[in-house]
Amino acid sequence: MLKKYIRIYRECIKISIATAITYRLNFILDNFIMLASNAFFPLVTLLIYGSGAEFPNWSLYEVLLIQAVFTMSTGIANILFNGVLWATMRHIIEGSLEIVLIKPVDCLFFLTASTVDFSGAGLFLGGAVLFAAALSHAGPVSILMALQFLILFISGVFVMMGISFIMAATSFKWVGNSRLPEIFDSIKYFGRYPQNIFHKTISAVTSFIIPVAMIGYFPAAALLGEADGIAFIAVLPCFLFAAAGVLLFKYMIRLYEGVGG
Amino acid sequence: MAIISVSNLTKTYYTYRRGSSFTDTLKSFFRRERISINAVNNVSFEVEEGQIAGILGPNGAGKSTTIKMLTGTLYPTSGNISVMGYTPFRDRNTYVNHIGAVFGQKSQLVWDIPPVDSFHMNKAIYSIPEKEFKKTLDELTSLFELEDIIEKPTRVLSLGERMKCEFVMAMLHRPKIVFLDEPTIGLDVIAKQKIRAFIREMNRQGVTFILTTHDLEDVEQLARKVIIINHGQKVFDGTLQNLKMNLGAKKIIRVILTEPVADIKLDGVKVIEKNSDLEYTMEVDLENNSINAVIRQLTEMCEFSDISIKELPMEKIITEIYESKSFNE
Amino acid sequence: MACSCAVQCGYNHMVGAEMMNYLAKKLKVIRAVALVTYKEWSAYRTHSMVSIFVGPVYFIVQYFIWSAVYSGKASLNGMELSQMLTYFGVTTLIGYLTMDFADWNLQMLVRTGKFLTFALRPIHHRFFALSQKIGHRILGFIFEFLPCLFIFVFIFKVNLKPANYGWAIISVILAFLMNLYLNYTIGMTAFWLVQASGVRRVYLLFQSIFSGGLIPLMFFPPLVQKLMLFLPFQYVSYVPAMVFIGRYNLAGVSMPIPHIVGLQAAAVAVTALFSEYVYRLSMKRFTGVGA
Repeated sequence: MLKKYIRIYRECIKISIATAITYRLNFILDNFIMLASNAFFPLVTLLIYGSGAEFPNWSLYEVLLIQAVFTMSTGIANILFNGVLWATMRHIIEGSLEIVLIKPVDCLFFLTASTVDFSGAGLFLGGAVLFAAALSHAGPVSILMALQFLILFISGVFVMMGISFIMAATSFKWVGNSRLPEIFDSIKYFGRYPQNIFHKTISAVTSFIIPVAMIGYFPAAALLGEADGIAFIAVLPCFLFAAAGVLLFKYMIRLYEGVGG
Repeated sequence: MAIISVSNLTKTYYTYRRGSSFTDTLKSFFRRERISINAVNNVSFEVEEGQIAGILGPNGAGKSTTIKMLTGTLYPTSGNISVMGYTPFRDRNTYVNHIGAVFGQKSQLVWDIPPVDSFHMNKAIYSIPEKEFKKTLDELTSLFELEDIIEKPTRVLSLGERMKCEFVMAMLHRPKIVFLDEPTIGLDVIAKQKIRAFIREMNRQGVTFILTTHDLEDVEQLARKVIIINHGQKVFDGTLQNLKMNLGAKKIIRVILTEPVADIKLDGVKVIEKNSDLEYTMEVDLENNSINAVIRQLTEMCEFSDISIKELPMEKIITEIYESKSFNE
Repeated sequence: MACSCAVQCGYNHMVGAEMMNYLAKKLKVIRAVALVTYKEWSAYRTHSMVSIFVGPVYFIVQYFIWSAVYSGKASLNGMELSQMLTYFGVTTLIGYLTMDFADWNLQMLVRTGKFLTFALRPIHHRFFALSQKIGHRILGFIFEFLPCLFIFVFIFKVNLKPANYGWAIISVILAFLMNLYLNYTIGMTAFWLVQASGVRRVYLLFQSIFSGGLIPLMFFPPLVQKLMLFLPFQYVSYVPAMVFIGRYNLAGVSMPIPHIVGLQAAAVAVTALFSEYVYRLSMKRFTGVGA
């Protein structure tokens, strides 16, 4: 069973790469534009610090580190999960989800696998460059800190996955709404800045309920040696959030099939 | 032996009424009116193993809802379906391993890459062993003469070539039953013939086909059994010959006159079209009059330069069935 | 009849009457097209209403960012915290009143060949696009602007009183036109390029950064600010927002409000002329290709 899914995923990646090669120019342009349109956030931070202002107790490079981690996570999400929303939306509008449902394979898995898109690679690399630059200004990183970072970063990727699946699930009900991602982007926005600038209630929500703080803030804090208990307690909600995304999507599929309808 | 048996199948949908005027849009934001629609209403039928069965009906009659329920992608509101011993909607995961489907308007091929790569995808999805995959693929591609075509990117293929590849894709895992939804839509005559020949060949090898189409030629050339659905209800179930007989023997006579006449009035003859004073198309009911007598009477009544006698076309038969409210065997 | 009237009423008067007639006709077209667009899009009104969530959420984030940045500072680049919050509130709201996707729309019409149906109508397509935009933005006014205004003023208690109502309204109207002319011109690249969507996306990227929606333009390095003086982006968002607040300053240039609005009007006129020039070139190319 697992072997079958690995084989399918491999075929999907092959197809995605083949497509990218056929449309080289578009692929490069997509990569560039995705990178450029995510460069705003570090830009705003740069302009703030450039004007002689700052986030209290945060140096420029520390804030940029948060945003670099966030950018890398966004890049990974764009490669691995974000196609699900558009594929689902297209199938719902055209009434063609059946062609996925009649395959002997999990619908959510297949939609995710068949929309792997490496246009997010540029964004990931851009994030990685910023990450390296910002990290070079931070203090020494111990192996423990790196390990902590890795765990928290992966948890953050799961949050991204949850968000993608929840968006895709929402598109079953909110048919053809291309503005759906804006809602979730606005929520993710909270994860790009030091959490202590927000009101306590807000940072509780962004840590434990819609754990967007895990996308950028917590992993970066681990590298700065500031990961506290809260960061690790917040790992659990991340996986619950991802699971919620999976379950919500499956529930929507059931509704689509007309169970009890 | 019945490979598909459907009994008392019903599907009810609920939707909301939405206005378009300014006040309606504001109102509907707060309160929406719920409407129920019976897309499929108490339909029963059986399909024998090795048959080609055509499901006909006008747009919105409930054809595709029925197909969706047969493929297990839609739960019925009530009623039973049994296909090869499976209940499709309940046993979907195992059931779909044994069926194939071609949707004329929903491509399963990936647009930017050659079909052969899409085939490999299906190989992984259906866990087809390498040897079997190779053998089936060779057989199907040579049947369609697709050897070179499957290596080209899908987007450069003609619609006919693409459709053939869709068929190959649907048959790779050797399904026992294949569902075809408008399989020849938009194709030219030659491509249509090739596809039909392919279906006949696969059928000869034992594959059962369920076919929905608007192209009555598909039905005439392929289907031995016809099921007609209208307004969610089954209005006919039987063989093609049966269908034609049921409507009574009728012929179409078309004449071009040399001089206009006041009117053509004969027993059992109905003028169904009058293009000009000189062109008449008539429907002759052979129960009330013989074709021989009608022609004799016509030659006495008027002068004509041309006359043709034809079978009642399928379109006409189908339209008559759609229009008559209930009509059964 | 017509002749005697001309004699009686005098030549000037007749021209006036014709002019009125012409304007009345134009207004009728605007009303009809705007109404159809409104109805067409009201089916998607829940899409517009995404803004009721997104606008305030972004504002909340901005509030905390700038509250933190201003801690211990009375003013930054000549703006106080309260002005900064007003600035973000105003740019968001102006966005709802002036946004359009004439660029996307036109590119799609050209790519799919549907532009031909417009070329056959006795109406300038840009005028049609303007009428469409009016209908579309009336929808935006009801389902985006008003709800967000309400939330900003009554829940977030942002000061959203313009320094001068007259100038603020004129400036927003000019921004409305500016955005249309710019986007329409970008859309016309589709007459020349197959992959015009790339141009559009790059343009949108520049616009979102340099219109001032992201951060007030005074935060940019002096050199970039000087460059902005000569580019059209500031007139879409930054200028109307500063007119609203009551003082304009960019690259060390301060201007009284009437002056900057006048400059904005001139910029709109230049853009309109440029857009018309490109339109004529496009039509030459379109008919040339079509023949």
